[in-house]
Amino acid sequence: MSDAAGVIHDIGYQRYVGPRLGRGYVFKSLYVHGLRTAFGLGRSAKAKIFPWFVLGVVFLTGVILAAVKAQVPDAGVTYTAFVDMMAWLVVFFVAVVAPELVSRDLRAGVLPLYFSRPLRRSDYAYAKLVALATAVWLLLGGPQLVMFLVAAFSADTMKQFWTEVGDVGQGMLYAVLWAAVFAGIGLLVASLTGKRAFAAGGIVAVFLMTTPIVGVVSVMPSQTAQDLALLFSPASLVFGVGVWLFGSPDGNDSIGPFGPLYLAVTIGIVAGCVALLQARYRKVASS
Amino acid sequence: MVPQTIAWITARGLFGRRRFLLLIPLPLLVVGLAILGRGFGVAPENWAQPVLVGLGLAVVLPVIALIVGTGVLGSEIDDGTIVHILTKPLPRWQIVLPKLVVATAVTTVTVSISLYVAGVLAHSVRLGLGLALAGLVGALVYSALFLAMSLLTRRPVLLGLVYVLVWEGLLGNFVSGTRVLSVQQYVLTIADKIAPTGLLQSKVSLPVAIIMSAIFTVGVTVLAIDRLRSFSVAGETS
Amino acid sequence: MSDVTLAGVSRWYGNVVAVNDVSMTLGPGVTGLLGPNGAGKTTVLHMMAGFLAPSRGTVTIDGAPTWRNPSVYKGLGLVSEREAVHDFLTAREFLLVSARLHRLPDPEAAARRALELVEMTDAQDRRIGTYSKGMRQRTRVAGALVHDPQVLLLDEPFNGMDPRQRLHMMELLHRLGAAGRTILFSSHILEEVEQVSGTVQVIVAGRLAASGDYRAIRRLMSNRPHVFAIHSTDDRRLAVALMGQASVTGVEIDRAGLTVRAGDYGSFTRALPKIALAQGIRVRRLLPSDESLESVFSYLVEA
Repeated sequence: MSDAAGVIHDIGYQRYVGPRLGRGYVFKSLYVHGLRTAFGLGRSAKAKIFPWFVLGVVFLTGVILAAVKAQVPDAGVTYTAFVDMMAWLVVFFVAVVAPELVSRDLRAGVLPLYFSRPLRRSDYAYAKLVALATAVWLLLGGPQLVMFLVAAFSADTMKQFWTEVGDVGQGMLYAVLWAAVFAGIGLLVASLTGKRAFAAGGIVAVFLMTTPIVGVVSVMPSQTAQDLALLFSPASLVFGVGVWLFGSPDGNDSIGPFGPLYLAVTIGIVAGCVALLQARYRKVASS
Repeated sequence: MVPQTIAWITARGLFGRRRFLLLIPLPLLVVGLAILGRGFGVAPENWAQPVLVGLGLAVVLPVIALIVGTGVLGSEIDDGTIVHILTKPLPRWQIVLPKLVVATAVTTVTVSISLYVAGVLAHSVRLGLGLALAGLVGALVYSALFLAMSLLTRRPVLLGLVYVLVWEGLLGNFVSGTRVLSVQQYVLTIADKIAPTGLLQSKVSLPVAIIMSAIFTVGVTVLAIDRLRSFSVAGETS
Repeated sequence: MSDVTLAGVSRWYGNVVAVNDVSMTLGPGVTGLLGPNGAGKTTVLHMMAGFLAPSRGTVTIDGAPTWRNPSVYKGLGLVSEREAVHDFLTAREFLLVSARLHRLPDPEAAARRALELVEMTDAQDRRIGTYSKGMRQRTRVAGALVHDPQVLLLDEPFNGMDPRQRLHMMELLHRLGAAGRTILFSSHILEEVEQVSGTVQVIVAGRLAASGDYRAIRRLMSNRPHVFAIHSTDDRRLAVALMGQASVTGVEIDRAGLTVRAGDYGSFTRALPKIALAQGIRVRRLLPSDESLESVFSYLVEA
């Protein structure tokens, strides 16, 4: 028996009293996590297949177009036209990625876990939305950057260079519009169901169903109707804004005097999606 | 008594779930656009293609068939209630066939009515009837296909979407060889041959369409029945 | 009277062996399928119910295989672990559907009987989606009994039941077993198995570790000492006398009495009365203190 004094250490539950990072950190963490999920980083190989496949196709197309433009300057495709070409790929990308971002959380029932932390519900919605929009913008903007670099290095004069800079700026801005609208609609539809396949189908259905409406309205006999036709589908809506801001790629499409209306509707749709997303997450079931 | 009971419980299951509401806006959209087109006096040649084919036959019919076809069996497999149906001394075809009939009936009623109305507005009663009948055949083939898919894979809705969008949508428009294996083309052909107008452009011949539809339907249904016989529930589920 | 027979049954998934060469025959009466989580109980039950094919061996009920054989369900009822029932039906509708699918001649009467059996007649017209967990469980049991099967398989039937419902279910299973039906239920909770059946099949890590009456199983394991709690008029003298016995391996005294460890059950139980008589000590209480399934189980698991 030793006679050294014994001490019982109190290693029971201890409260954390150190510094706590704020709301911005929470938002940023969720945003970065969303962005990584979009491209399958930090997940299994199966989750990487589709996003990287789409990314590859888009980049490849961009590179090819850039090369073509470098060789034959007049046959080139403008940055905005490139974005238009990628329309359906963006739809598929959003249809696959948006459910990964929000439907998985719904299916696993972890939203009560999220919201019993200092994470505001609106922050959750915004962080996911901004992450998806950033992913789409990267998808469209990355190839544009590559195209710009190729064009910049093959430019002969500084004037050409600055023209390129102006063009790519337009293209990037156009990509931002696309990202905002498509991410907003896609995330809203995906947040309604926990089954990823249904969410993907719903997103594609929204775009598929609205396309014939544009088709029908655009053959209406009245000029006003034809000008307004592009309003009825998200893809053509953004295209219409592009036509107003940057001019029509082949000079055929006209939206008449309705340019500002298109922009207003676009902003309205984005704002509407944001508001609806926020409202959707206000009440979350606990089971 | 057994087939009616299976049909009854399948129908109750379909209509008791929220997803049934998705069935309503799509056919209404078809009719709405047709009314719009006819009402504004636009020549049918301009709007028939996108509305009747692009929306009606290519989107509304397969999507509704997908929702219903994967719902009649797939939802029971998903939530585990299929066990109650399978622990009965019934030959498995007595389970599959009534479900197939219910799926076909629901899809047909939802789609064919709107197709009929749109067809009448586009051209004539004959076109309307042709579209409706072709819709019936299409509903049968699609339902059989998607019902089989819910037994063959764990993600029938996703695969069904890929089939409709990629195989029939994308490839069918660009790769002519795949048209022979596309249900959409069979439906198109049947409608066109019943009511020849210049509005639908069918690309496969009528005998091919009929035979392939029959082969598809019978083939996948037999496959589904066999898979139901070997339906396995693995270890512990929670 | 029906017999469920597993002959050399194994089931593996790739490299993982879930059930390893299990052979057993279940006869009339209640048998408990005991084992820790992940031991393979549900796999065995699903193979018996025709929902899984054995990778090797045969699973038969009265000689008929259960796999790909729907006619076996005429005399077989299954209550699975998963709580799935059609939420949109009422209990009465659910049982009517079950009875009709069994092609029973009088489905209404069968449904009514099944409802009475599980005491669900009061709530029979409410939708199952509004039921509590225990009520849903009872509805599923009724569904498995509506066609009066000879064989009843239940996977963890007492999960989530409150004590009163447990008691009722145990009593129901007792009654059915006594009437000659073959009943198998699985559990990892030892008290349940103890209270409902004396016959157990113990599955550990996919292998059949023991089968039969659990008291007999305990006795077969003679390399572990049997433990007895003894109260007598003079504990210390008795302890001294017992230590002289060859079959006694250890004695402990505390305020509660004497705890004796004996290696050989038979000779100890014969020797104790003789010793007590010779010493003039009256034995007031003699309890075998570990004949419970708990100790059998833990011995088996640790072995």
